[in-house]
Amino acid sequence: MPIEGEPLNVPTAHADPIASAEPVLPDDGELVKRCQRGDTAAFNDLVTRYRGKVFAMIYNMVHNEQDAWDLAQDGFLKAWKSIARFRGQSSFYTWLYRIMMNVTIDSLRRKQVGGETEFDDSVGLTHIDPHAHTAPLPVAMPHEKLAGDEIRARIDAAIARLTPEHRAVILMREIDNLEYQEIADTLDCSVGTVMSRLFYARKKMQSMLRDVYENL
Amino acid sequence: MKTFEERFTAWVDGRLTGAELAAFERELQSHPEALAEKDSALALGNLLRANLTAPPLPNPDFFNLRILQQIQPPPSPAPAPRRFFWTLPRMAFSGLSLLLLATLLYFAAVPNTRREVRENQQYVSNTLNPSSGDLNAQSDDPHITATAFHSKQDNANVVWLDGLNYMPPDYKLK
Repeated sequence: MPIEGEPLNVPTAHADPIASAEPVLPDDGELVKRCQRGDTAAFNDLVTRYRGKVFAMIYNMVHNEQDAWDLAQDGFLKAWKSIARFRGQSSFYTWLYRIMMNVTIDSLRRKQVGGETEFDDSVGLTHIDPHAHTAPLPVAMPHEKLAGDEIRARIDAAIARLTPEHRAVILMREIDNLEYQEIADTLDCSVGTVMSRLFYARKKMQSMLRDVYENL
Repeated sequence: MKTFEERFTAWVDGRLTGAELAAFERELQSHPEALAEKDSALALGNLLRANLTAPPLPNPDFFNLRILQQIQPPPSPAPAPRRFFWTLPRMAFSGLSLLLLATLLYFAAVPNTRREVRENQQYVSNTLNPSSGDLNAQSDDPHITATAFHSKQDNANVVWLDGLNYMPPDYKLK
């Protein structure tokens, strides 16, 4: 996923200091160890390194800049509080990603309970047969060509109608390109559950966006 | 046994192989639209990847600052300057304490001795009181002295006279 203003390739201590004029930043493991000794400056470096990716991931879940900004803050604070328990069994970003995703899903669930947003499950299990030959009629007419902003708006609207769990799996799979097992680890569920959720999330999205991607 | 949904998802993502793939494709022969569904799912993925670009993080420096403000421990208070021990309140307190201690010691020890002396003096005074007529301690001879005391061992009052040449034999204390 392209992220403006943030390098995708994180520079590490393995870079050649002679070939590059850029200052060599310590790798995640070194920064994490310093964080575990209470070094807030090291955590600041980790925040700088991953804030863009984290913000983008959350933004695609909540479609609101301010909410995404606040949730990213919450996620980093939770990461700081629990970094002493990080044992390095996964990469730091995988661990951070899991925290951020859980913070975001919790927030979406609270809003769902509070009625701030509505999830329309009318295109759900009862309306889409896994063996169905067709999908529900798209909203827009097939001949309509959509501009970029409109496409984005349609996609955002479609994602907003998914449950938090369905949003999470389809974005982790399609945007962040995570494997089923990584998604399962992040969401603390089985691989089968991930695959099943992905199936229904795709079905719902296809039913809402078929006219968009078929007429591009 | 995987459900149809699980196998369909794995098929779309190219995760079915070998016998599992062959079995599922045989199963799909009765669903001619399945291939179109797979293409549709792949097109959906392409659409999402092409359009779900997030805006850059607004105010990135403030973002870091806010986090740092919340995770940095509060500054520890500066060590207090070293002070002379005998401050005015401490000196006053110590003085009062010493005065109280001295007073207690005075009433605990000194008055008893004085009381005993006073009692002895009273006893001698009673014994040698000239108004009682029992003993006239007055003497013209300054070399005659009289000492009176109580012997606890004999349980008797003793009058010790020094300087007398003699004492009349019929003279006795009552």
